[in-house]
Amino acid sequence: MEGIARFFEFSGFANATPGHFLMILVGLVFIYLAIRFEYEPLLLVPIGFGMVLGNIPFLEHAGLQLGVYEDGSVMKYLYMGVLKGVFPPLIFLGIGAMTDFSPLISNPKLFLLGAAAQLGIFLTYIGAITLGFNNLESASIGIIGGADGPTAIFLSSRLAPRLIGAITIAAYTYMALVPLIQPPVMRLLTTKKERRIRMRPPRSVRKREKVLFPVIGVLVTGFIAPGSLPLLGMLFLGNLLRESMVTKRLADTARNAVIDTVTIILGVTIGASTQATTFLTRESLQIFILGAGAFVISTAGGVLFAKLLNLFLSDENRINPLIGAAGVSAVPNSAKVAHQEGLRADPSNHLIMHAMAPNLAGVIGSAVAAGIMMGSLL
Amino acid sequence: MPSFNQLLPVDFSAITRDQMILAIFGYMTVICSLFLFFMLFSLIPALRNRRFRKKFEQEGMPEISNRIVPGEVSAAIALAVSLYLEELHDQETSVLTIKKIGKTYSPWNSKIYNVINFNQGKR
Repeated sequence: MEGIARFFEFSGFANATPGHFLMILVGLVFIYLAIRFEYEPLLLVPIGFGMVLGNIPFLEHAGLQLGVYEDGSVMKYLYMGVLKGVFPPLIFLGIGAMTDFSPLISNPKLFLLGAAAQLGIFLTYIGAITLGFNNLESASIGIIGGADGPTAIFLSSRLAPRLIGAITIAAYTYMALVPLIQPPVMRLLTTKKERRIRMRPPRSVRKREKVLFPVIGVLVTGFIAPGSLPLLGMLFLGNLLRESMVTKRLADTARNAVIDTVTIILGVTIGASTQATTFLTRESLQIFILGAGAFVISTAGGVLFAKLLNLFLSDENRINPLIGAAGVSAVPNSAKVAHQEGLRADPSNHLIMHAMAPNLAGVIGSAVAAGIMMGSLL
Repeated sequence: MPSFNQLLPVDFSAITRDQMILAIFGYMTVICSLFLFFMLFSLIPALRNRRFRKKFEQEGMPEISNRIVPGEVSAAIALAVSLYLEELHDQETSVLTIKKIGKTYSPWNSKIYNVINFNQGKR
């Protein structure tokens, strides 16, 4: 009889709290959004399932070694890759190996849009300070505005490991919800005439330029913000593997096996880290609110800067300000959103290739911002 | 359920001068570093064009124009090359190759052994 009572004590039913059910529900919503609407399914399916997994109630600290926060549990070992910032550089390696930077190389002025859209990072940093977060935590929260999950994980693992779960979930949630967050801001800040601007087709890019890009990139960013090297070093290495054309096997492994493996483990452990007993706090809610603000500010920063650039550009070189919104580095979601908005204004105006340029510049910009924060605050 | 003020207790006096400077300096540094990229990658095609122009001038060949090849033209050339390499063509040779399909029957797969003669009993 005692055994049965003990079994019940250890079961999920005896340990469930409303928080657990709420988080399981959120996880199921993530899975639904990913499958039904295809919002970042590669991220939301593992994260959503991880949330369900991490919120199955159990008797904590009873030596079961189950949860992501329990010593000796398998999930904790996997989560170490997040906590120690191991996964983000590997993801950047894969991104570098799968990305063609030609749209950016062919129209270098679009680098500036990727920089402008980092406004949200620094304003949210100030915003977080006004809410009582300390300097390091505020910088980690601010990086959500970069719309770059791996960078958010990397910086918060260094500056505020305590908040890593909330920051990462906020970053990935808003990255997935880019199609809902960005369009109203884009429409608010642009006129219909501006949304119809047709951009010059990009020029063709030579192989030598493509090979030079990662080499120059790592030197420039490395010297300016060495803190960004673990991320950008791997990004540019992956790109060199791709563009050199002599390391096809390595490039293939980086853009398939490596990034897929890491994405699965990262997604599940990040999801599992939202264990209701440690995740559902006022701070998490504040981080979510600040994160939403960061996304809106970054989007606005990119769009407004594109409008500012247009004041100095000739008619044939003008930029469609919608692609400024793609300066947040949610690759390729925000570029797709800019493209869709462009099509709504003019069904024959295809902006996707132009929008990819600030999108990729945003990846570099947010990693540089993270490097600057690390260099200044650690 | 916490009230709005409890959830977002905004205190602007918490911002120090150093933090403001860091925010402004950080944003400016991001812009400057990507501006450097812009400068470098604007310079590379210009240098390349200059080198080619010099080369052609020395060799007495007609000067190349700075005309940019439109994306549509590049796409058409790429498609043509790709079709050529994959040996796809618009006109087929009209020769059909009929493959002989041979089936060897055995008691294990022959249809005749699987037919159940339902009407057998009625005869």
